[in-house]
Amino acid sequence: MMKLKKIIIRILILVIIGAFVAYKMYNKPHVNVANSKSDISLTADKILNDFSSDENSSNSKYLEKIIEVKGVISEINIEKEKGIITLKTNDDFGSVLCHLSEAATKKMSALQEGQSITVKGICTGFLMDVILVKCEFSNH
Amino acid sequence: MKILITIFSCFLFVAISNGQERYLTKNGAITFYSKAPVEDITADNNQVLSIIDASSGKMAISILIKSFMFKKALMQEHFNENYLESDKFPKATFKGSILNFDAIKETATKAQVKGVLTIHGVSKEITIDGDFTKTKEAILVDGNFIIEVDDFGIEIPAVVDKNINKKIKVSFNFNHKPYNK
Repeated sequence: MMKLKKIIIRILILVIIGAFVAYKMYNKPHVNVANSKSDISLTADKILNDFSSDENSSNSKYLEKIIEVKGVISEINIEKEKGIITLKTNDDFGSVLCHLSEAATKKMSALQEGQSITVKGICTGFLMDVILVKCEFSNH
Repeated sequence: MKILITIFSCFLFVAISNGQERYLTKNGAITFYSKAPVEDITADNNQVLSIIDASSGKMAISILIKSFMFKKALMQEHFNENYLESDKFPKATFKGSILNFDAIKETATKAQVKGVLTIHGVSKEITIDGDFTKTKEAILVDGNFIIEVDDFGIEIPAVVDKNINKKIKVSFNFNHKPYNK
């Protein structure tokens, strides 16, 4: 009888741990860009040139990575309460579009066109421009 | 005289290229919604590129699959890795024409777009209803439609088959501005 009780208790503990792990996995948080180290650091010119010369290999190199991009601001916009910063490149058509996080949007008012900045975000791909989402400002 | 001709032809060139009348947005919004028993699935993409040629009513849209943001990181992972296979098919596209484009007014006008939608490497001809507004400064397009995941070869494993609705409601909202470059 005591043996059976022990087994049941063990199984129960396992089930609880299993449920907890499953719950944790289901609610796994998104990557925190602000607190993560960037995977790749480069200039706006370089990332745009890479994508426009070979999109496929750039996709496998940059997509879903945390990228730190240095460039000069050519445009500042707000769309649906989220900031969007355009970084100039030496290409006539393409640029790097940085969609800011909510926290970064609040810090955006200090920025000006023509200013040089470093932005860290997740690269989702290339349309006319290279697109970074969840961007934060880097502190250097 | 030569200078005059040069200047004149420059103006002429500018006039012709303005005649192109392209309208564009780089931050169009697409949202999808699917009802599910455990938790409704929604995702937003605010980086959609959409171009309208106002002289012909032709429309072209490019969507990055990895730009769809989910509330749950795990859902986003499954969406990219298992269902849409975004490493293999990073973009979805639409190419088509706005029917009766000239009838669109400065107030919201119902109209249809007909064209080819490509998702997950599979193309399908569709016709979508939408509200269109056309002024000199902007062309607004919004509406929604239903897509069936089976139409685009998106396989949902049997285990979660019952948890995922195969009809997905897609909403779009684009604010195109004149493009001069």
